[in-house]
Amino acid sequence: MTETSANGSTTRRRLLAAVGSAGVIGMAGCTQSGGGDGDGDGGDGLSGTIDIAGSSTVFPVATAMAERFESEHSGVDINIQSTGSGGGFANHFCPGRTDFNNASRPIQSEEEETCSGNGVTPVELTVATDALTVVVNNEADWVDCMTTDELARLWSAEDPPTMWSEVNADWPDQELELYGPTDASGTYDYFIESILGEEGPGHRQDYSATEQDRTIIQGVEGSEGAIGYLGFAYYSQNTDRVKAVGIDDGDGCVEPSLGTARTGEYTPLSRPLFTYPKQGSLSEDHVAEFARFWLENSTSEEIIADEVGYVPLSDDAQSEAMERLETAIENAQG
Amino acid sequence: MATESREREGFGHVSRTVGVVFRYLLLAATLFGIVALTVLLIYVANDAIQPLTADPGWHLTFFVTLVVPTVAVGGYLLRTDPASFKFGGGVVGALAVSTMFAGGAAMIFVDIVQPVTWFGYVLALAVALAGVVAMERFDRQLPFLVRSVVAGAVAVLSLWLVPGLVRSLPVYPTDGLLLTASLGTPVALLVGRYAAAAAGKRGTALAVLGGVALVGVGSYAGPLIGVDPVPATVLLSVAVLPTGGYAVGTVRRHTERRPGLAFAGVILGGAVVGAVAVDALGFTGPQSWVDWGFLTSAHSGTAADAGLYPAIGGSILLMVTVAALSFPLGVGAAVYLEEYAPDNRFTRFIGINISNLAGVPSVVYGLLGLGVFVTYLGQPTGTVLIGGATLALLILPIVIISAREALRSVPDEMRQASYGIGATRWQTIKNVVLPRAFPGILTGTILALGRAIGETAPLIMIGAPNVLFSLPTEFSSKVSAMPLQVYAWASLFASDPFYRAAVPAGVVVLLVVLLSMNSIAIVLRNKYQNDQ
Repeated sequence: MTETSANGSTTRRRLLAAVGSAGVIGMAGCTQSGGGDGDGDGGDGLSGTIDIAGSSTVFPVATAMAERFESEHSGVDINIQSTGSGGGFANHFCPGRTDFNNASRPIQSEEEETCSGNGVTPVELTVATDALTVVVNNEADWVDCMTTDELARLWSAEDPPTMWSEVNADWPDQELELYGPTDASGTYDYFIESILGEEGPGHRQDYSATEQDRTIIQGVEGSEGAIGYLGFAYYSQNTDRVKAVGIDDGDGCVEPSLGTARTGEYTPLSRPLFTYPKQGSLSEDHVAEFARFWLENSTSEEIIADEVGYVPLSDDAQSEAMERLETAIENAQG
Repeated sequence: MATESREREGFGHVSRTVGVVFRYLLLAATLFGIVALTVLLIYVANDAIQPLTADPGWHLTFFVTLVVPTVAVGGYLLRTDPASFKFGGGVVGALAVSTMFAGGAAMIFVDIVQPVTWFGYVLALAVALAGVVAMERFDRQLPFLVRSVVAGAVAVLSLWLVPGLVRSLPVYPTDGLLLTASLGTPVALLVGRYAAAAAGKRGTALAVLGGVALVGVGSYAGPLIGVDPVPATVLLSVAVLPTGGYAVGTVRRHTERRPGLAFAGVILGGAVVGAVAVDALGFTGPQSWVDWGFLTSAHSGTAADAGLYPAIGGSILLMVTVAALSFPLGVGAAVYLEEYAPDNRFTRFIGINISNLAGVPSVVYGLLGLGVFVTYLGQPTGTVLIGGATLALLILPIVIISAREALRSVPDEMRQASYGIGATRWQTIKNVVLPRAFPGILTGTILALGRAIGETAPLIMIGAPNVLFSLPTEFSSKVSAMPLQVYAWASLFASDPFYRAAVPAGVVVLLVVLLSMNSIAIVLRNKYQNDQ
């Protein structure tokens, strides 16, 4: 009995050993090493989220930059929301909910006060130049150029004209149909500032207001007596659907184009575009790196001009913005 | 005779023209909407898929291998054996819909929830469940309070400890095996019981084991044909296993429906043969914008490269959140209002208000979400949690109303019979009313979710980003959704390439998801009505 059991136990031991070793070899194919949290998907170690809100005019620039930045740093998540410059400052940036706010005009002093009240310090960076374009219907052969005074007369809230002929006797008795951005838009503010004057009669309100530049193009395309204004980017993608009007600021007619805007000839309807990083967020490496990346590419014809349709920064403007950014990063990280 | 003819004269002549005109006017009214919608859909689908860009040989090949056999076999079956025809079509439909869901689930396991985390939580739930079952077996006489406290403690402890414990192990099984255990096994348990039909305990166990083995082997076989282990496992667990189980189970129950399997085989086989044939013959397919790249890449400034991936993932996470929030709240409210609440002025007032809430515009719910969650509770804008909670509020009234409808359709005699044999109200609801009403409740909930998945306005109101480049990974991540992404393409990137490529492709994907959700609801409803 004892003998057999001893025999049995040796064979059993051998069997166990054999099965065990086979099992270990087999198991090796079924396991992976654990314990890691798997955070290392950033490749170069940059990771985190960046929240961006603000102007719909700067939005295409921001997405173009974010797309390229993401392809290099997959660990960084960038969210971009189009809220309008003012909406972005008031609802997102100054309450501290976003890291960047895009703006198609400089930040206003009240906005700066709100921001600093919440401990948010905006850093102003110029990222491109936008040319605002006045468009009319392709059939409107009576107008290729207008003076800023005529433009102001067309859009003024004081005694608003209903016929083209009321503004200029050479123009026909065609009924006016006006399309423009809503008063929430930076483009609207900019138009008032540059054409109507801050102290002037104000912007007429009996026009078709929309946040969508596309709707402006559609409206102007569909009616012979229509006139509208919008950012150059959207016009440049639809040059065959509507006609851009040259602007005479007293020195002769200047057609809106990338070239005339960059040289500053196309006044007063070209303007700088901004993004405002929060200084506090720049202390984080991925935010600072994205801001640098953006400025480095802000002279790129390919991205800014060809893809988005704005005017790229000149080298001087870029290095000035870069300096400002580096100072802010030092302040934030130091 | 004479009186009869006089009576007939008394009726006189009644013109039927008015009736005929009325009838055809109604027909026109009916057709108007359907025709308009069909034209729109064809227009969009044509833009998105561009079937005319394919080689004529491509169309011909698929016509010969897929369309002709399907029409021939299907037509024959439809005339001789409608039940088999329906069954065969059902198998193919189930495979198509479940494959889509598997795609969504695979997305979750690849990019959002690591398989080991999922495994940890499933294990924790299993442990908690085992604890509760053991306690019930051990002593049925424990008072309710003790039982619920112990069960709660076990669940919380296990959910708190087990996932962390699993994650901290130095070595754990491969992702494929983890998912086989935590996803394949529960599915196999459900499916195996149906597939085995009346084969007894042994048969059921074999069916379940077979299912698990299939998934496990698949996790190793997948890489051989170029599918990563995680998607392979998910595809097998969520699509192949349930469809196979449905096919096997139905054939075992109704042997006479076996020809349906042949029908399904003809369709699937035809598709595969066609795909192989066009590849071998070198016919190029249509230049569809809805392709693998579109489904798996993020937004891009160039329309041709733009994709829907983060938005699809966002929509899935939003739907999970919405379902998790609105289902218990909605069904709970419905059960209370139908089964417990007295019929007085107050409950009627609540009922009317719920109906009114169902008609409130979605923008208002967006404002509510913004006001309550963001401004008042100070949550960050545009996150999965906020978006899901807002959408859940939006569909809550619909869920409540449809669940009440389903509960009301349970015949009162069944409740009376249950009371008659001495059951309490709680037992009646649990054992009689809810099981009977459940398919109806589910149908209503799915249709409501279908509404939520298409909503854009509330998401804009709560500040969801227009563009984001990666999937949200937690409830506090910013989220985008399919309709929001389509809206962004149509409005913020207003250019012709986006109108021709990205927008129609996005619309088609959104509609396919929506229609398949609705088809599930319809199938459930039909089954429910048949059972009645």
